Amino acid sequence: MLGMIIGVWAVIVLVAIGEGASHDAQEAIKALGAQNVIIRSVKPMSDKVQLQGSDMEWETIYGLKNSDASRISKTVPGVIKVLPVLTQRKNITHGKRDVDCQLIGTYPYYPQFTQSKMVAGTFLNEIEEARKENSCVLTLELAEKLFAGHNPLMEKVVIRGFESAQVFRVKGIIQERVEGAKLPQQKDALGRTISANVFIPLSTFKALFGIKNIDRSVGSLSVERVELSEIRVEFGSADEVMEALPLLREALDKTRRGKVDYEIQVPINELNALKAQKARDTRMLMYIACISLLVGGIGIMNIMLATVTERTQEIGVRRAMGATQKDITVQFLIETLILCLLGGSIGVCGGWGFAWVRHHLLHTTTIVTEWSVLAAFGLSVTVGLVFGLYPARRAALLDPIEALRHA
Amino acid sequence: MAKRSIIQIKDLKKVYDLGAFKVQALKGLNFDIEEGSYTAIMGPSGSGKSTLLNILGCLDRPSSGAYILGDDDVAHMDDKELSGVRGSRIGFIFQSYNLIQQLNVVENIHVPLFYQGKDISDHYDHCVKLAEKVGLADRLDHRPMQLSGGQQQRVAVARSLVNEPLMLLADEPTGNLDSSTEQEILDILDELHGEGRTLVIVTHDDAVAERAERVIHLKDGLVDQDIRKGAAKAVAN
Repeated sequence: MLGMIIGVWAVIVLVAIGEGASHDAQEAIKALGAQNVIIRSVKPMSDKVQLQGSDMEWETIYGLKNSDASRISKTVPGVIKVLPVLTQRKNITHGKRDVDCQLIGTYPYYPQFTQSKMVAGTFLNEIEEARKENSCVLTLELAEKLFAGHNPLMEKVVIRGFESAQVFRVKGIIQERVEGAKLPQQKDALGRTISANVFIPLSTFKALFGIKNIDRSVGSLSVERVELSEIRVEFGSADEVMEALPLLREALDKTRRGKVDYEIQVPINELNALKAQKARDTRMLMYIACISLLVGGIGIMNIMLATVTERTQEIGVRRAMGATQKDITVQFLIETLILCLLGGSIGVCGGWGFAWVRHHLLHTTTIVTEWSVLAAFGLSVTVGLVFGLYPARRAALLDPIEALRHA
Repeated sequence: MAKRSIIQIKDLKKVYDLGAFKVQALKGLNFDIEEGSYTAIMGPSGSGKSTLLNILGCLDRPSSGAYILGDDDVAHMDDKELSGVRGSRIGFIFQSYNLIQQLNVVENIHVPLFYQGKDISDHYDHCVKLAEKVGLADRLDHRPMQLSGGQQQRVAVARSLVNEPLMLLADEPTGNLDSSTEQEILDILDELHGEGRTLVIVTHDDAVAERAERVIHLKDGLVDQDIRKGAAKAVAN
């Protein structure tokens, strides 16, 4: 009985947790867009150039270039839009508050491209891009942290890099869709990841901060020159993505002479991989569930065998009163089934309760799927039928005379 | 007026095969039981009394011979057919009452009908009437645990009547009861006999056999004596 409860509980809970996790991951991937491809600059393994005069200072030049972006939009078929993104870690201050942030230089159509929505104000526009204006847009979380309640619109903030500090005017607040791999990831009081992003026009970025990213770590200074951190490419549909992928790679490799300083992220591929992974996980869970239900079933069988022994005389009486072997079999099978369904129900309720607590109180996505509940019930019925059959047959085959005499 | 025989036993034998040797429990019985008669079967232990009871109750099959109950020879029926015969033609009354503990009085009385596929809701009144007949009108929803031995045996009697059987078969019906309760149960049996029902009682108690109009004594698997008191009385008259 307990085995039964635990078995069913485990099916529901494990499936719900798996479902929740994959839901989150799918959301994150969907946020990148199934018809999109993201090309990121990646630092090659050994391509450092030592700066003159110092053995502690290194400079690396790598990554995507503006020319890559324009070549992609010209030569790869099916491309609708190309969005260049340049990112560096900076520090942003307003009054006495300061927060580590990620400075992102990009084009005005960033929100549409990433399905982000404006909470207040407006996003950067073409004029600001053309005039290299000092306008910026903050993510909602960052704005809350930096302004703690009061309206940030039209306020001034200072963005500080390694070499320069610049004053920007806040013109909008943006809420991004969940996205996994961006830095810095800071935790808020509730343990949620906040995205501290500051968006400025790409032209402004290049003019004020340049493409040199300086990183100071234990005694050494390393300088990286990366023209673009990311190029996002939007295609007409997910199908076109798969067709265009080789051509995209070709366009990028043309100028690189075998140097691998980029990676291509294809959300649609990841989505498919995730679905395959989920199918595997689900099968795994089913094996686990089957084993625990097998154990539960054996427990149930023992209970029923004990019941049959205990009620031998009753069986004899029923036989004397005209019950056939089939009647007795059916009676005990039904009793086993009831026992299993009872265990199953408790398991389902327990699993549901656990999932609810995890989802609502622990804020971890947990989704109880209908099929897992049905499967759990189906399995308990099957277990009841399979493991009930032996005790029931044993009861039915008892000799009525012997059974009646049984005290 | 010759009454119809509802039971005909012809050269009934039962052999138990115990592997190393065989035990002949019944060595060829012959007797008839007429409709409406009241018969006691007696005999010392080892006389084949229990074996005969099991065969009469269709719980066991004879090794050879014929047992005609009603119009059919039930000696060679299979388990399923025998179950049907037990349910429809025989009313059992046991020494230890043998009620089903988790059912109440009315439900216990209904059990034989249940196995004939008859729903309790259609026969509730019938079951209640039988409970009233044995004097348990105010105990309808009691469970066996809440009843005295005599009351439980009354329920068993009512249960044995529910399917309108050809024969009531009682096995030491008063063996577990004190003498005053014993009288009550025997009075009920007399009453049933008076209504024209056929009773067969297996007992070793002379006081019980006293009430019957015929006593069949078994000894070593054979009929030793077959005494018809009615006939004796008639002769005396």
